[in-house]
Amino acid sequence: MRLPRVTFSAPAIAGALVAVIAGLLVLYPVAYLLQAALNTGDPEARPPTEYGFENFAGLLNYPQIILNTLTVSVAATVMALVFGFLMAWILTRTNVPARRFFEQAMVVPYYLTPLLGALAWSLLGTPESGFLNQVYRALGGSGYLININSAYGIAWVMALFEGSVAFVMIGAVMKSMDPALEEASQVMGASRWRTMLRVTLPLVLPGVLGAAVFVFAEMLGSFAAALVLGLPDRYYVVTTAIYQLTQQYPPKIPLAAAMGTSLFVVMFVTLFIYRRIITAGSYVTITGKAFRPRVNDVGRLKYALLAVCLFYLACSVVLPLLTLLYASIQNISTAFPSASNFTLTHFRTAFTMNAATTALGNSLWLGLWTATLGVLLMGLISWIIYRSRLPGSSVIEYIVMFPQSVPRLIFAFGMMWAWLIFPIPIYGTLWLLLIAYLTVFLPLGVRTISGVMLQIDKSLEECAQMCGAGWGYRIRTVTVPLLWPGLVAAWLLLFVASIRELGASILLMGPHSKVITPSIVESWFASSTELTAAMALIQTLVVAIAVSILLAVTRRATAHITD
Amino acid sequence: MDSQRKPHIEVKDLHIHYGEVPAVRGVSFDVAPGEQLTLLGPSGCGKTTTLRAIAGLEQPTAGEIRIGGAPVYSSASRVNIPAEKRGLSMVFQSYAIWPHMTVFENVAYGLRVRRESKEQIAEKVERALGMVQMGAYAQRGASQLSGGQQQRVALARAFVFQPSVLLFDEPLSNLDAKLRADMRIELRELQHRLGITSVYVTHDLEEALAMSDRIIVMRDGLIAQIGSPFDIYNLPRNAFVADFVGSANLIRGKNRGEPATGDAVALETQAGHIVHGMAHGRPTGTELTFSIRTVHLALSAQKPANERNVWPVRVERSVFQGDFTQTIVKWGEQRLTIRGTMEPLAEGSDAFMSVDPKRVVLLEE
Repeated sequence: MRLPRVTFSAPAIAGALVAVIAGLLVLYPVAYLLQAALNTGDPEARPPTEYGFENFAGLLNYPQIILNTLTVSVAATVMALVFGFLMAWILTRTNVPARRFFEQAMVVPYYLTPLLGALAWSLLGTPESGFLNQVYRALGGSGYLININSAYGIAWVMALFEGSVAFVMIGAVMKSMDPALEEASQVMGASRWRTMLRVTLPLVLPGVLGAAVFVFAEMLGSFAAALVLGLPDRYYVVTTAIYQLTQQYPPKIPLAAAMGTSLFVVMFVTLFIYRRIITAGSYVTITGKAFRPRVNDVGRLKYALLAVCLFYLACSVVLPLLTLLYASIQNISTAFPSASNFTLTHFRTAFTMNAATTALGNSLWLGLWTATLGVLLMGLISWIIYRSRLPGSSVIEYIVMFPQSVPRLIFAFGMMWAWLIFPIPIYGTLWLLLIAYLTVFLPLGVRTISGVMLQIDKSLEECAQMCGAGWGYRIRTVTVPLLWPGLVAAWLLLFVASIRELGASILLMGPHSKVITPSIVESWFASSTELTAAMALIQTLVVAIAVSILLAVTRRATAHITD
Repeated sequence: MDSQRKPHIEVKDLHIHYGEVPAVRGVSFDVAPGEQLTLLGPSGCGKTTTLRAIAGLEQPTAGEIRIGGAPVYSSASRVNIPAEKRGLSMVFQSYAIWPHMTVFENVAYGLRVRRESKEQIAEKVERALGMVQMGAYAQRGASQLSGGQQQRVALARAFVFQPSVLLFDEPLSNLDAKLRADMRIELRELQHRLGITSVYVTHDLEEALAMSDRIIVMRDGLIAQIGSPFDIYNLPRNAFVADFVGSANLIRGKNRGEPATGDAVALETQAGHIVHGMAHGRPTGTELTFSIRTVHLALSAQKPANERNVWPVRVERSVFQGDFTQTIVKWGEQRLTIRGTMEPLAEGSDAFMSVDPKRVVLLEE
């Protein structure tokens, strides 16, 4: 067995340092999560006096929560897949009008977040006061048309927003399939249907299956929609139950920890299966090459398909935004407009109310620092994983990608428990949130930067080395300039992700470190609906501005590359 | 080559593994000052890995590499000097022209690293670009260059700071055939003018023959043969080299053991044909293998006057391929390939095959 030679070069030192930081960020909270889950003695004693598995056995006392979680996740996965598959098929394989526009519009739901959707759909679909139900009763109906506070209501909202993820995944598979494979089938004399059944479907299936497993894992860990829509009727899924167990008095920390650990194990296994599916079952479709997919002329059907596209975007984007806007400019929100009811007070309040402005200010501060420090840290990590050839770089990759399979709420839970006893008084400050953001967004930043890094020919850096340039000089003159579009994109994505972060923030923010998204949720439950709508719109606007810059930058970067 | 001078590059018992997979399994050779050495072999033979280990871009598992007498890598004394401090330079297969810099900045890079003055940089870059006929393109963006132009810039960038050694990693493989032939000659001329020690990696036989003082043929991480282009082509040591370096027919048989003059040796094939060849000082056993280049076999309708090495054959297929005609003949139980400038023969016709015994080379199996 060869032993790696220890050379104290600059990259080796930086690599070791970054590995230690990433390891601490990720593993320290996970260790405390496990410790809490195995604590069977006095829940207040730290470190625990007794260990055991009783907390996990205790989970069986909550069959309803497991059942609720499965109901919501399965229903939401099925709906999201139907949306994703339909939209992917329509937009890549048919001649529906305005395909380019729809394809670009499909990313918008992803940026709007399930929280915004849940708030808007709550305004639209609560049995008593939901706008849609008000209109339904005004038209002569009795009772209610839809109940958004039900399991299927929650699943519906989650599916609308996860649908765009499913679309991106399935669309990529459809685009990467060589149309010659289908043409070959037809040349051999197979009918269109036979080709569809025997060639197209089997080739696309692994991709669809992969998307299904991935979306299901996301649904298991999703939090916002279940919180906003489920809490009023005490309908708990596992994430909201964990939240409830930590927030109630007295908190049941060991039980919440056991629940969180179980959830993360299930998600870990699910994502492992996902990875197996996409690596093992992809046949020849994933060549990394984008083909021009064959577009079928669907005749008159295209207007029906156009209606499907419009319906999806209406439900996920237009209707929610209009609803929030409509609610935010009314004194008391109701489905029926009247001149005396309109006002701009809520926006004025949102901009003057101390709690709201502080939270927004804090979020912006956190966004700037998370993005800036994140790009530095994650850029270095990407370089070490994919370029340095340092021993152990694959271990770093594993650690860094780990937060991907842990819901942010669970991660924050471990962090809360870990940093409570940390000798530096960091708990309840923005610093803790900054650390949390840098940890939970590690996979996002590293994936974004390394995606661009892997497209840069390795010999460009090696050539600088052969010209005699040292590590720092190389990074400065070659790597960073070439990586610039990727770094800017990562910066903006981290900024946006920080501004809208809910799962980790809601557990970790203290009375003096409020941030915007949890404040919106607090305001929803504690003060007025209309003010909440205004705050949510302001947050959306900030995100929209950042995303427009992001799109402009990436477009210019791709234009530069294709020149 | 001055044999009194010490070798410029010494590679001793070099081993390189990728994880558990061995890529280079014990390779040793020297390169004399000013010599142009070529590592030739099929893909996966370890030639590029060896080159990158000399450069310092690949960490060997064991062995030693010395440049100018001083070790830059040694597993015994735990020396591993990073690539940037070895004072070498390299031309990459992908050219590695930095797209965010102009041609001038690309070439000036190595000089800037060495903190040369502005005037000196301008002067040296201009001279280097002039040598590769790219003087007019100094202010162009690198992405506006054609493949051949990028190649020239990469070359100027590699030698402008007067490195002690130039390494070439298949620099011509991305060019089209015609440009490749032109660049081959240019590169060789430039190398002579600079007089710089260089190691060149290629899988292209013609390139290796045309550009090198010496060739090392590699196979499966080992050296198959070291020699001058002439020796490698005319005196292949084994079946692999014979086949890889041009195309050859292999003929096996029992040693006739006839007392013969000098180096002459003869074998008898299973079909009873007697073939005379040259041993070139190589050891002879009871079983022998001869290699005959496809271009050295002659084919004629009439029986030639030679005493030795003339056999009747039947033409199986004869195909005109432009520069030559390729003919497959049946000779006893064996099929042989013959390339020549003759007109194609009718399939199924009888003919005579002959070869000069000097062209029949004994292989060391």
